[in-house]
Amino acid sequence: MSCLTIRDIYEYIEGGLSRERNHELERHLSFCPACRRAVEERRLIAEAASGLTPFAAPDDFTDRVMTRVALLKIKRPAWLIILLTATAGLAVFSLLLMASGGSLLGLVAGASHSFWGFLKTGAVFTAKAATLLSLAVKTLRPLLEAGTKGLSMLTSLVHPGFQALILILALGAAVSLFLGMRKKLSLGD
Amino acid sequence: MSEEKDQVLVKRTLRGDRKAFEMIVRKYHQPLLNYVGRMVGERELALDFTQDVFARAYASLRSYAPQFKFSTWLFKIASNLIIDHWRKKKLPTFSLNEPLGSDEDGLTLDVPDDEPGIGRKFELAEIGRRIEGALEELPGPLRELFVWRHINELSYEEMAEIKGLPVGTIKNRVFQAKEMLRRTLQEMS
Repeated sequence: MSCLTIRDIYEYIEGGLSRERNHELERHLSFCPACRRAVEERRLIAEAASGLTPFAAPDDFTDRVMTRVALLKIKRPAWLIILLTATAGLAVFSLLLMASGGSLLGLVAGASHSFWGFLKTGAVFTAKAATLLSLAVKTLRPLLEAGTKGLSMLTSLVHPGFQALILILALGAAVSLFLGMRKKLSLGD
Repeated sequence: MSEEKDQVLVKRTLRGDRKAFEMIVRKYHQPLLNYVGRMVGERELALDFTQDVFARAYASLRSYAPQFKFSTWLFKIASNLIIDHWRKKKLPTFSLNEPLGSDEDGLTLDVPDDEPGIGRKFELAEIGRRIEGALEELPGPLRELFVWRHINELSYEEMAEIKGLPVGTIKNRVFQAKEMLRRTLQEMS
């Protein structure tokens, strides 16, 4: 094992190492005088620091503090002040409401009524939309099926070259119809 | 006196029993003064600051959360007061989260072979006196951690709770503070 790092030394002095690591370090220390000196030195400083003379307080220190404390009041924490303010605000609002002829219960009932009304309208609208959608699917589906069937029959009867000609003519008709409509409806560029 | 007793004293104080708060002051003024004194340097200022800590603690006693240790709560108030003092005096300070340099903290370095030892030069009491001087050379945030660890004998968990940082970060910074102080001692001798 190589020499100890400074972190190793402090961990070792404070007893913060695992048992295996501790044994490993002790084995190294048994034959490395430089590391042993480094550990001893840091241990000595720690010992001296722990034995420093305490700052002496005057005998009347506690009395001085208590004289000062006697002038103070224990404050209420911020969250309690917020809660109390909110409660007071609500109480004032209720009083004003009652003075104006209304009642808090009436207000709550009104709010609740609007909420249920909104919920009811929403539910009816959703149900209607779902019905319309299912009806459209039911009506359009056979029409689409008949259209595709007819188209496939027509393509089997008509020559492929003629089919291409019809397709080009149909596309031309669609484009001219679009351009004509755009001019008519003044869609602009 | 156990933590449970602290909680009882807090409850009694909140019910208006000033004697209970007096017991808190008697119990904690010495550790707080040891910490504040080493942070601000001047005795009279340290006494004023410690009084401020108790006054603030009393006024905001309702915001104390009993799941935390009462002593760590007091140290947190003291620490915030000292940080404010540093800022007002425009003293250099930094967040313990920030990296300090390219080598980070030198903790991963191996022990140098030819270091002159302080322990072989001075007696324990003399080293103690020199530590007082070297402490003033440490950057404030590191000095704070050193004092908490060696003079107030706080655990890494308690320090982490006060600073709101992970235990690993605090441990690293404490080792760094110790090493910086040792180097200062070496330079001084």
